[in-house]
Amino acid sequence: MVRHDVVVVGAGLAGMRAAIEASRYGADVGVVSKLHPTRSHSGAAEGGINAALGNAGEDSPEQHTFFTVKGSDYLGDQDAIAVMCADGPGDIYELEHMGAVFSRTEDGKIAQRPFGAGGAPRTCYAADITGHVLLHVLYEQLVKSGVTVYEEWFALDLVTDGERCVGLTAWDLMHGGVQGVEGGAVILATGGLGRIYRGTTNAYACTGDGMSMAWRAGVPLKDMEFIQFHPTTLKSNGVLITEGARGEGGYLRNRNGDRFMYDYAPNAGELASRDVVSRSEQTEIDNGRGVDGCVLLDLTHLGAKRIMERLHGSRELAMDYAGVDPIEEPIPVRPGAHYHMGGVDTDLWGRTSMPGLYAAGEAACVSVHGANRLGGNSLLETVVFGRRSGMAAAQDVRSNGKGGVFSPAAVRVAERRIKGLLDVESGERPAVLRRELADMMYDNAGIFRTAEKLDACKAGVTELRGRYDRGIVIQDKGRTFNSDLVQAIELGAMLEMADCLVTGAVAREESRGAHSRLDFPERDDENWLRHTLAYNDDGEVRLDYKPVTITEYEPAVRTY
Amino acid sequence: MEFTIKIERYNPETEDSHIERFTVDAPETATLLDVLDVIKDDIDGSLTYRKSCRMAVCGSCGMRMDGAAVLACKAPMAPYAESGEIPVISPMGNLPVVKDLVVDMAPFWEKFRAIKPYLDDGDAEVPVKEWRVQQEELDRIMKEALCIQCGCCVSECNSMQADPDFLGPAALAKAARFVYDVRDRGGKERLELYNGAHGVWDCTRCYFCQERCPKGVDPRDAIAKVGAKIYDAGMQSDKGARHAKVFVKSTYQSGYLLETQLVPETIGPIGAIKEIPFALKMAKAGKVPNPLKPHKAKKLDEVKRLNKLIAEQEKQQREAAAAGPSAGDDE
Repeated sequence: MVRHDVVVVGAGLAGMRAAIEASRYGADVGVVSKLHPTRSHSGAAEGGINAALGNAGEDSPEQHTFFTVKGSDYLGDQDAIAVMCADGPGDIYELEHMGAVFSRTEDGKIAQRPFGAGGAPRTCYAADITGHVLLHVLYEQLVKSGVTVYEEWFALDLVTDGERCVGLTAWDLMHGGVQGVEGGAVILATGGLGRIYRGTTNAYACTGDGMSMAWRAGVPLKDMEFIQFHPTTLKSNGVLITEGARGEGGYLRNRNGDRFMYDYAPNAGELASRDVVSRSEQTEIDNGRGVDGCVLLDLTHLGAKRIMERLHGSRELAMDYAGVDPIEEPIPVRPGAHYHMGGVDTDLWGRTSMPGLYAAGEAACVSVHGANRLGGNSLLETVVFGRRSGMAAAQDVRSNGKGGVFSPAAVRVAERRIKGLLDVESGERPAVLRRELADMMYDNAGIFRTAEKLDACKAGVTELRGRYDRGIVIQDKGRTFNSDLVQAIELGAMLEMADCLVTGAVAREESRGAHSRLDFPERDDENWLRHTLAYNDDGEVRLDYKPVTITEYEPAVRTY
Repeated sequence: MEFTIKIERYNPETEDSHIERFTVDAPETATLLDVLDVIKDDIDGSLTYRKSCRMAVCGSCGMRMDGAAVLACKAPMAPYAESGEIPVISPMGNLPVVKDLVVDMAPFWEKFRAIKPYLDDGDAEVPVKEWRVQQEELDRIMKEALCIQCGCCVSECNSMQADPDFLGPAALAKAARFVYDVRDRGGKERLELYNGAHGVWDCTRCYFCQERCPKGVDPRDAIAKVGAKIYDAGMQSDKGARHAKVFVKSTYQSGYLLETQLVPETIGPIGAIKEIPFALKMAKAGKVPNPLKPHKAKKLDEVKRLNKLIAEQEKQQREAAAAGPSAGDDE
């Protein structure tokens, strides 16, 4: 049993930023993460981080806010978006002062490039390894702060005293055994759930664990049906090629060599928002104008020098995983599940409906991305709302005192659950269910959705959840580094989160942002300009709704 | 495509260790990680290894393939299947094995922490906006900034095999990233961390780290850069620094390495006297050049010109680096 004022779960950008801030506010902080911090998926972010610095042209936080609101298809909460865009520059400068190696302009300022639907060159970047650079900078600062990190501790369940969150249970992967982690405040920063889809850009670790912990504890998840498909992912394994490739001037071509994007987005072309570009690509592919299930990302006209300087990492990925050198020939790409807009419902300070529980980053839904996130806004969200939740948690703990009582029984309950899982001797292997789930989600809850497909998907997920509950076989029965056990628990979270996603998608009878219904092709503000809330009702998903916060910008028709 | 690999298994609970052979079916594009996944999912769930991003950026899946460190997610398997070779997969070297292909990274991170792995701003007042830094200045640390801390270099480090306390290529490459950051104010205090025992001078320059790094960080070059900075800062009393100094002096004087100078000037006259019996043994074996007739290069003036040129270039680089960042003028 360990105890800290503030416990952060997850050590990607949002988690580490939260931990650093809480520590600055005098809290004793512990970080629990199933991976060593630098292994977190934030490191895979390539293209950049948005903030209206105005280093590459006129810009302002108001412009940034407007284009984010528009990009969200008006589902984003405008107060939250305004906060993010106003705080953005300060957070970027702070990262720079911490030592982030942002690429530079001629006069030594932070360089900025255009990203899809941004309306201005607003994306700061470190070549095409921005997430990697920021992740390592924040880890450096985490080491400096002296925060305790419980590496390779897999969080199992939140512990409550009936009203407040008082900590969590975790499985110590290296040594085996359940650990109780008591905290005056718990911040969930566990990232996304992309692994419920086949062909995702996400790491194996992105299995929705934190969201499922919150959901099981009775905290509502918001806008779970919105998952972004990134337009440029590699066919073989879903690896991401940055939007920066188009920001630097790359073209998308179909099998005839045509730059088809201008047929769909006459003004923005390749730099329309991601939902628009992914749908356009899929339409080209579905209508026989693709190349082997892909379209072509053509960078050849950029020249070797520019590619080597600005897109070096992407070139390497294309060579390693597609066998293509983008200096010489176009890269076959297709849309792949990339980013989950939904997450734990929070306020502007990361507070959830449960006292003592906070969430930040992709695991949270503030909401700043609404129905579609703009490229470059996710990294910004992690640092802005990571910082804010860390500060709020530290201050709340100081004013509320220790909080509730952590009953040691919680640890025994978790131990029994693990033993129950390990005792199963016959049945299906988790991988079988995992593959079925990923295929089903991609085929039925993907870019284009219909009632028929979504209903089938809901039935399929329900069936898989039944098979999971009947018992799956973990072959590794040992205690030391039992990754078979962890993967089986992750599968449970994935199934619950898939259920929330699909249930929300079935209900939402409109097309908005990334949620594109062929049977309801129009956006319906009258009935659906509202957030979906998914609750846990004795294991079943129960939906509710709440209004969207609109301040400055009335919903308007969205074209690019 | 059919892939066959052999894996060094180790179960700490039964202390059983053996080599196990697996044959699986996987797509032609499969990496080593993909093959391991098929084995774990479909054949033996107890096979243990770390993984996460599968795109060579998280640094989880370092392991050895035929005795040399690789990232499993970056190691294509088709060449093996085609040639019929069966690679042996084993855990990384120089770190304690926990189970199968998982090693204990704690000693690795301990060294990371030991080099003061964060920007030392010297409590300087930071500008309202960003530090103004030229791209060329940042380019000097971009290679080191690529490092994903996977441990592949450490796995193959010869020096660390002899001295487990050696800071090692990963930590020292990280050190270079700060030493050459114009925003860092760690100064001599920082350099002192890398100058002592187990520091930069203990590297044997075998270049295995450079050879095995999956990200092109070139840790050995980074170590050399840190050494140069230490030397330039006037910290030349370490045997390693003195050794480097005699090298330069000797080539300047004769165009060749003068072994008879090297030993006394590196370890001092008393140390050199102690080494006389060893020198005599070497002489017997014909390994000692005649101290009275040192080698001398034919075109020594050319060597000297080259020497001068390099010194000038280095001076220019130093001046550029000393300029440092500016707080900008538009606050």
